[in-house]
Amino acid sequence: MQELVSVISLGSIYLLFSLGMSLTWGTIDVLNFAHGSIFMFATFCAYLILGKTSLPFLAVVGIGVVVGAVLSLLVQVAAFEPILKRARNKRSAEMQILIGGIGIATIPLAIAQVQTKSNPFGLAASTFHVTVWHLGSARITNVAVFTIVVGLAIWGAISVWLRRSRQGLALRSIGVDSETASLMGINRRRLALGTMAVSGALAGLAGVMFTYTTSAITPESGDTLLIKAFAIIILGGVGSMAGVAFGAFALALVETLVLTYTSGSWVDAVAFGLIFLVLLARPAGVFGRKEVRRA
Amino acid sequence: MIDFFNANQVLVQATLSGLVLALSIQVPLRMGVFSFAGAGSYGLGGYAAALLVIHLNLNALEAIGLTIVITAFVGLLLGLVISRLNGLYLAMATVAFDLIISVVAINGGTFTGESTGLYGVIVDFTTTTMFIMTVVAVLLVALSERGRTGRRTQAVRDDQQLAASAGVNVRRYRLMAFVVGGALGGLGGAMNVMVRTTIGPLDIGFGLVVLALTMIIVGGTMSWKGAVLGAIIFTWLPHFLDFIGQWQTLVYGVIVALAAIFLPRGIHGVIVDIIRWVQRRRRGTLDKPAPDPSGDPEPEQLLPPSGTSSISPSAPQQPIRGSVARSLLARGAKS
Amino acid sequence: MTVSQEQAAAQPAPAVTPVLELRDVAVHFGGVKAVDGISLRLEPGLVYGIIGPNGSGKTTLIGAITRLTRLTRGELLFDGNSYLDRRASTLARLGVARTFQTVRLLPDLDVVQNIELGFDGRVQDGEKSNRGSWWRTNLGLGTPPEVAQAIARTGLEGFERFYPSELSYGTQRRVEIARAIAMNPRLLLLDEPTAGMNQAERAEISALIKDLRADGLCQLLVEHDVQMMIDTCDYVFAMNTGRLIAEGEPREVVQNPLVQEAYLGRKWREHAADH
Repeated sequence: MQELVSVISLGSIYLLFSLGMSLTWGTIDVLNFAHGSIFMFATFCAYLILGKTSLPFLAVVGIGVVVGAVLSLLVQVAAFEPILKRARNKRSAEMQILIGGIGIATIPLAIAQVQTKSNPFGLAASTFHVTVWHLGSARITNVAVFTIVVGLAIWGAISVWLRRSRQGLALRSIGVDSETASLMGINRRRLALGTMAVSGALAGLAGVMFTYTTSAITPESGDTLLIKAFAIIILGGVGSMAGVAFGAFALALVETLVLTYTSGSWVDAVAFGLIFLVLLARPAGVFGRKEVRRA
Repeated sequence: MIDFFNANQVLVQATLSGLVLALSIQVPLRMGVFSFAGAGSYGLGGYAAALLVIHLNLNALEAIGLTIVITAFVGLLLGLVISRLNGLYLAMATVAFDLIISVVAINGGTFTGESTGLYGVIVDFTTTTMFIMTVVAVLLVALSERGRTGRRTQAVRDDQQLAASAGVNVRRYRLMAFVVGGALGGLGGAMNVMVRTTIGPLDIGFGLVVLALTMIIVGGTMSWKGAVLGAIIFTWLPHFLDFIGQWQTLVYGVIVALAAIFLPRGIHGVIVDIIRWVQRRRRGTLDKPAPDPSGDPEPEQLLPPSGTSSISPSAPQQPIRGSVARSLLARGAKS
Repeated sequence: MTVSQEQAAAQPAPAVTPVLELRDVAVHFGGVKAVDGISLRLEPGLVYGIIGPNGSGKTTLIGAITRLTRLTRGELLFDGNSYLDRRASTLARLGVARTFQTVRLLPDLDVVQNIELGFDGRVQDGEKSNRGSWWRTNLGLGTPPEVAQAIARTGLEGFERFYPSELSYGTQRRVEIARAIAMNPRLLLLDEPTAGMNQAERAEISALIKDLRADGLCQLLVEHDVQMMIDTCDYVFAMNTGRLIAEGEPREVVQNPLVQEAYLGRKWREHAADH
């Protein structure tokens, strides 16, 4: 029972993080390699601020969300948009965005590494206290409750929004055929910026919740999580909301099982192995619809 | 000159192994295959060579030879699994491959030395031998950029349908990218472990990808000459700018990002563009005027502006040339 | 019987093995029947044309013939042998060369190199290529004579070192055709080769096609320009909504009421009235 709680809690964090990546990847075709760094750095900023003053829980969450959104927007405007404007064709643009993202990802990483000397850092200095409840034989913290509730709520909201609202439809149509979309008067730029901002906000939120849940985060955590998000999205299927949720919880489940029954150091390899398994067996993912192969 | 090299042996060695590492990623990239598996092959190669020396007492040549076969084969397996995927998926899968190698290295028990790694890889291997091997590798890569192979790899990169209709077995070429990338990575890793006599998890992993990318993107993505340039610059730069110190990763990251935005084909690419520009000026401009009344002889390369559809939606890579768009409009006006 | 079945029955049994034969070829994309049951035969040494309004499935048909598009059903035969199980990249060896509807040249290669790309896929003519030329081709030393010939035939002398971005559209088209010729094909597929060209250039292309015909090359042309069709082709197939609605000599086809109806254009009726 206790494991179930931690699986759902971990899964919710994975969900929040992967949701952001899936949004940009599935709609505006941007694979933001700096997503993981943003996840970490938003929390890092909260950590720095908490070093000066003590703040309540929601304020810390707010900082994470805002910093994440701002950083993501910055990356889009300062890097990805110029690349798209100058690229000769779609393929070079993809490659440049990928490589550019890799380069950008090292910046927050390096800053945090130097400041913390690669040691883990946490958000303990807030006015927030962890309270524990008991549900049967399991302990549930208020952090876990918040994570799960918020995670699922946001996921649900975005799924509905994508499917029902006009902008959601617009966003999905960009993913399918961006030229036709802009012919129909959809402002690609504004939607792209919005998507990146939301994606970054989700990353920041995930970072804060992750740190509260596991009580510490290292500068390198973001990069590992990036690959896990990739595994999640691949497992669930790019562009599928149901897929992202499925993948997030499935990965959390498998990782927890591996952690419980074997030594801890193979945990991260689960995601890597999963990627290959899926690509071998069913590249489109469980719920996927988008065409993955080229040849 | 020789004295200079002797005094800076370590740097020369690092340049050589860095060059081979860069090539292991550049060759697939030049073919349009977004594979970063070269870094993983480098790690695999280093560990394999170390183990071969430690446990089987092979000499340098034998160990390197066998290592290359191993890493090339692993590359082939990897390619068979993922070569059909398109750009981004392929890239991430190769990153996952690189990270798996790291994880295996750390978790391999005493066999791989866990977090301390392997040491005592003592073998007869001089910098000169390393230099010769690197030159041979570079020569082979350079040959592949010319003539028939060079043209066909460009076709595979720029326009797969065209390549197929010109008789190129695209799938085989893409698989070769993985094999060659694996072989080069393995060579680099093996040579590196032999001059340094140790290898550990900190020497391999994603940092290698960033380093290789820095060299390629700044030096030049399209040719081995770019890789050489990049390898020299980024091995010797920290030496001359040691005030960067702990900020090295950050500086490299910024450079990669800036290059990706502003200079995607690297210094070599810029040089090529300049040479071509000079050649054009010397030749004088062209050709009969374009078949439209405005008579602009020099069509620019444009990305199709949003709202303009290409003639056929199935054409993936060609941006609309200025004169094409104009002649389309002219045709429309006539009929 | 359908139109195509009638006409197939009406044609005398071929004395020569057709270079290309299609039997009831269909290409469906989901609900869209881009090509819906087409049968035709191309005999060696003749120039064939395909005309049809936009969306009639012409380019899809070319894609099906060159194996870049999968068939939903039907049979493809080259020289009497089925090539349904072959991949697109092996067609070059069989002797099939094509140009594309939009010009596709490699931007980083100059004219000569683009043409050499075609040469690289060339039919060997049954003999082993001699050692010397292998070295030359792979080391990029010197231009193979076949490439020089292709350049001469398409009138591209002087343009060898230019890059595609520096060339006019018409010239780029000619490079594409030269590339196809350098493949030493037995069947040449030209997808709208004169699109975007002016009258003078069109005439040149027409002359080139006839020149190649004199060498015995079988060609299939997808064209919009009626005059070009009449001037250059020996036999024309008219398509509409994925089917053949008429075939025969160009002038006959143009006067065919079904064809005129498909186009509903003054252009067609004018030609029919004048000829």
